[in-house]
Formats: sequence, C-alpha cells, structure tokens
Amino acid sequence: MDYDSVADVQSRLTKAGFIPSKEIATVVFLAAATQKPVLVEGPAGVGKTELAKAIARSLDWELIRLQCYEGLDEAKALYEWEYAKQLLYTQMVKDRLNDIISSASTLTQAVDQIAAQEDAFFSDRFIQHRPLLQAISSEQPVVLLIDEVDKSDPEFEAFLLELLSDFQVSIPELGTRKAIHIPFVVLTSNNYRDMSDALKRRCVHLYIDYPARDTEISIVRLKIPGIEEKLCNALVDAIRKIRTLDLKKSPSISETLDWAQSLIALQINELTPEVISETLNIVCKYKIDMEKVRKNIDRILP
Amino acid sequence: MVKLIQQFVSCCRASGLRVSTSEVLDSLNQLQLIDPTDELQFRSLLRANLAKSMRDVQHFDRLYHLFFHEMRMDVGDMRQAALHSDQIKKAAEILKQMPHDNPIYDAVVEFLEGNPLALLHEMRRIRTEAEAEATMLRFNLGPLGNRLNMMIQINKAASAAGALVEENYTKTDSAAGRDLAVYFQERVAAARSMLMYEPRPGDTGTKITPTEEQRLKGLGEKSFSSFTRAEVEEMREAIDKLVRKLKNIVSRRYAVRNRGSIDVKKTLRASAKYNGVPVEIKYRHKAKRKSRIVTLCDVSGSVWAAARFMLNLLYSLQDCFDKVNSFVFIDHLSEVTSIFEEHEISKAIGMVLKESDVNYNASTDYGETLRNFKKDYMELLTKKTTLIIVGDGRTNYMNPEDAILGQMRERCRRVIWLNPEQENLWDTGDSEIKSYMQHCHEVRQCRNINQLFTFIEELVL
Repeated sequence: MDYDSVADVQSRLTKAGFIPSKEIATVVFLAAATQKPVLVEGPAGVGKTELAKAIARSLDWELIRLQCYEGLDEAKALYEWEYAKQLLYTQMVKDRLNDIISSASTLTQAVDQIAAQEDAFFSDRFIQHRPLLQAISSEQPVVLLIDEVDKSDPEFEAFLLELLSDFQVSIPELGTRKAIHIPFVVLTSNNYRDMSDALKRRCVHLYIDYPARDTEISIVRLKIPGIEEKLCNALVDAIRKIRTLDLKKSPSISETLDWAQSLIALQINELTPEVISETLNIVCKYKIDMEKVRKNIDRILP
Repeated sequence: MVKLIQQFVSCCRASGLRVSTSEVLDSLNQLQLIDPTDELQFRSLLRANLAKSMRDVQHFDRLYHLFFHEMRMDVGDMRQAALHSDQIKKAAEILKQMPHDNPIYDAVVEFLEGNPLALLHEMRRIRTEAEAEATMLRFNLGPLGNRLNMMIQINKAASAAGALVEENYTKTDSAAGRDLAVYFQERVAAARSMLMYEPRPGDTGTKITPTEEQRLKGLGEKSFSSFTRAEVEEMREAIDKLVRKLKNIVSRRYAVRNRGSIDVKKTLRASAKYNGVPVEIKYRHKAKRKSRIVTLCDVSGSVWAAARFMLNLLYSLQDCFDKVNSFVFIDHLSEVTSIFEEHEISKAIGMVLKESDVNYNASTDYGETLRNFKKDYMELLTKKTTLIIVGDGRTNYMNPEDAILGQMRERCRRVIWLNPEQENLWDTGDSEIKSYMQHCHEVRQCRNINQLFTFIEELVL
C-alpha cells in the first residue's frame, strides 16, 4: 500500500493535520501494510474519528463513513432494492411486456420469456448503494470508517465479519461482489459493549489515550494557529490537572481545542481562576463535574 | 525472535489474556515490516495484536514490563548473566530438591530461575478461584488465605535461596556470590510486587457512570421488609426512571419493526384497489408479541412489601403488555384490576389495602385461593398469558392444592413464582414452595429491588 515506513506515516499524518504518537503511526502502518482493519478504542474526544479522516486526507483517498446505531441493519448499511422505482418502471413498460409475451402461445412460454428479461429489473439501476457497498464497489481506493461499531447490534457485527475478512458481499439476485480495491477500514468503539472475539481477531487493535503534554500542545498549536505560546501551555497544563480529578467525563482533546478557541474568541490572554470558572461549561459537561473543578481550582492553577 | 515471542505469548495466556494462534502468526509476519530494535514500535506491534480490548491493554503493559524488563537483563548485563546462568540453574536445582509439599513452591523457584510461566498461572488461579468462592461463601477470607499461602511460599524460597548462596559462595568467591544474591533478591522482590498487584479494570478513560445504579446501589440490595417510609418514596422515583428507560427500549424496538423488506403478497392485495397499479407499497413488519399478565399477590405481612413494588412496576409498564389482571389474596381471592385501571398507581396501591374485601386478620390460605381462581377466572389464562404469583408459599398447614396450579399451568404460557423469602428458609415449617415449584416454569427469589428489576426487565424485553 501507500505508506513506506512508520516515519512516513508520521510525517504524512502530521501534514494532514493529525499529530500521531509513534504507537498510532506504527499501528496505522502495520494495518496498511497487511490490509487489516484497525479497531480504535479510547475515551470520547481523543480523535478516533479524526484519525480516520486524517488517513483519508494523507492518502488522498475518499472517506466513506458508516455511523452505527442500535437497529442498523443490512438494508441501511449495505444496499437496498428500490422497490418503488422497480414497480413504477414495471407499470411504465407494461406495453413492452405485452409485446414480449404476445408471441407466446402458452402461459409457460410467456413466463419463460419474461424470465429472460428479469435482468432488466434486478440490475444496478435499482440498487441503492449504502456505505458498505459503496466502499467495496468504488473504482478508487477508499478509507471506510465504521463509527461507533459498539452501538450496533450483535447480528450486524456478525455480518461485518464476512465483509472484513473477505471484502466481498453477496447480493442474491446479482451474485457476489468482490472489492476492486481493498479499503482501509477503521472501526471506532467507545466500549459501550465488548466486541466479539472473532471481530477483534480480524482487526489490529489501537488504544488511543489522552496525549502526552507536548503532543497536546502541538495539537492545539496546529489546530488553533493564533494562540499564544504562554496561554497554550497554561491551558494544556490546566486541562491535564483537571483530568486527574475524578470526574464523570474527563475533558479530552476536543474539549481542549474548544476551550482554546473560546478563550481566543473572548480575547483572553491569561488563565485566572475567574476565567476558568466562567468558561468551565466548555470543559465540563456535567454540573457535578463543574462544581468539583471549582472547588479544586487552586490545585489546577499553579 | 520467534522463540522469544512464543514464550511471551505463553506467559500472556498463563495470566489470562486470550491470544489466538492466528494473532501470534500475524504479529510474527508484521515483525518483518518494522524495525524491531525500536522498542516503541516493537511494543505497539505486540500490543496491537495481542491486547484486543481496552481492558486488556493495562494488563498487557504490566506483562510486557515484567517479561521484557524485569525478567530480562539489559544488554550490558547479558554477558554477566550468561556467566551466572549455570550457577542460577544449579542453585534452582538444589532449591527444587529441598523437601516441600506445595506446587506453588515449585512455581516460585521456577520464577527465580527466570521462567515466570508457572507463577503467573498460579496467581491467575488464585484470582479467578477467589471470585468463584467469594460469591458462594460471602466472605473474602478464601482469596486472602490463598495469597497468604503464596507469600509464605515466596518467603520460604527466598530464605532457602539466601541460605544456599551464603553457604556456597561467601567463603570462596565473594563477587559471584554477591551477584547471585542480588539477583535472587531482585527476583523475590518482583514476585512480591506481582502478588501485591491488584488487577484494576483498565477502562477508566471511558467509564460511563451508571448513575441510576449508583443511586440505587444502597437501596437496591436492601430487602423490602426493611424499607422506611422515606425510602419507599425514594424508591418510587427510581422506579419511575427505570420505567422510562424500559419504555424507551421497547418503543425503539417498535420503531425498528417497521423497517423490512417488501411484502409482495400485501402489496399485490393493496394494488387491487387501484386497478392493479401498486400505488401503496407494503413492508413486512416484524410483529411484536405483547403478552397478557395475570398476577396473584399474597398481601399478608411481609409479602405485601414485595407485591406492592411489583404491582407498581407492572402497572407503570402497562403499555408494554396487552392486559394486566391482578388479584390479591389472604384467605380468599379478590380481583383488584379495576382499582388499578381507574386510579393513579400510587393511590391505587393504597386503596387495595382499604377497599378490596380482604380479611387482614385471617391466616393465608393458598388452597382456597387457588380453588377460587379455578372456579371463577380460569378463562383468563390463555396461551398468551404469563401468570405471576407473589407469595412465600406458607400455607399454615392447610391443603396447598398444588394440583390446581398444575391445571393452571397447562392453560397458560408461563408460570412464574416470586418468593420474597430467603432461599434457605424455603420448605421449612409450613412452606409448601417445593410442592408448588414443580408446577412453575420458574421460581425466583425476589427480596430486593435489584432482583425485581432484573425480573421485570426480562419480562418486558
């Protein structure tokens, strides 16, 4: 595939606006080299989805995204026949049908003659491509992001297995479709439930944790170019201290970025206890958490 | 390299990580693609292939550290270690010969020799066994005792090793002797730290705090009979929340129901209206079965506490059922369905006690109740009905009439008996629960809210 080495992955992802740790780069490289799917786990907001997008950008491939939810089924994920269109077409070409069977002398013959034409109705024209089929039948290589796969039902997971191991799907009326290019598959999970062993076995596992201090600082500087260095450092330090509190939802990178963005919008250049407590609702998503942070505010600011 | 990975994998397996052969093959193949001398890459590779869930990651990191750092010498030490390895082996041999009768001792000695496999295995056994035992005996001395045993074995091996080193080397070659002693001390320290290590779930980053459960934790395990009035109120709030959650799940299933493939038969039939043009397209629905519920509640004494909560839950979830018929009884049966249908739930529960013609001073008579039911209400039981009986099955030594329950069972889909009594009191004294049990599909203990919640959840979903 397209990456040459781990270092290459690292530099190209950075260029695409995602700063990977060495571990992330290694796993991405291995997955690309062995054409295996990556199962990404980690707390919400550490950039699991962003990783897939960055991979797509760095390879200059199209990104096809499938958002999973409870009740997602094949018809929504793979393909669906457009019944209404089929029936409408049948009505419209009724006269032609009459022509075709006009020469038939018996009913059996007529049925045979129609059967010979059935390809016209079960063709690509009447298939609605859903993300999975799109990814498989695409002419160009793509990155397939299956987001929050843990939210889907176990049945859907079993169905994914076939797809991920052979990269082919069977449509009974049309036969088996094999992938033209094997897509780079990224599955993300929030640990809403455990994935089956069979699925895990087929994937390379990647756990993304909160980034190290320097990485986080460079992420903030990359995403928000206007930020002053001093503010940026203070901000990241504060966030890292907040993470050590026992909160219901610890702030992750996306919260750090939101916070930095809003401080810039408010034209604030220095972190003070007042600033923190006024802008806290961007960092903490629960009332209890906010109270806890306010109580410990002297621990957060050096 | 292959051998090293294999050793590491077997250590992983011994301490409870599930690693399949194909995962090992994958990692060996992938090793060719990266630079194995870069430790970060090497570790990421193993981690990506061997630890496949968030929970395993922490565990893996610990094992990795143990195997590749604590158990291996650094490269500089390697030569030195090779020098000593003969002596270490010899010493271990002697240690093994020492009289002992404990397999853990063997494992510890092997660990000292440099092979952590057996010890990891033993530790894991202790941990998993500890869990199984804890649920049965309800006290945690078992695992503690096991650990103590292991500690004693480690200490024994340590002192034996120390004595051995002193005996053989102090006089002759002091430098080698000291090295060996240091080596054994390090190993013993490593073994001890392994023993002290408590596996913690590694998913702290994403834990979703189950607020409902946390709030209920205190009350959930408390038995019904010991609730105070304030707690009953609090419970009601909790029940409301749970009901809302269940209803959400059920309604979502109804939403999903309408998605499906086309139903050709129905579409054709509908098209007849429009001269054969299929204007309306009918989809195949996944029909959802709603069940009918008949409850018989003993309202005497302590049983009432459990019955009250169950009625509360059942009637809150009335939408999920086709019809709920309820009866209360002490010495004879009386129907209270109408009270619940006409009044708001909490009010209705209060009214049951006042307005139904139940004689509270009588003693419970299950036989008479069942005879009443057979006479008047047998037609309520159909193949769609689930019969729920709440009671302790204490008949005051009167005829239990369990044969009637058998006839009732034949008419309905399921018979479930909820018993608010402790399981070890069943079938003592006048309890006839065992003779009723043979006619029930299921008899469960229902002493606290958590048990009730699990029951209701299974019933609805």
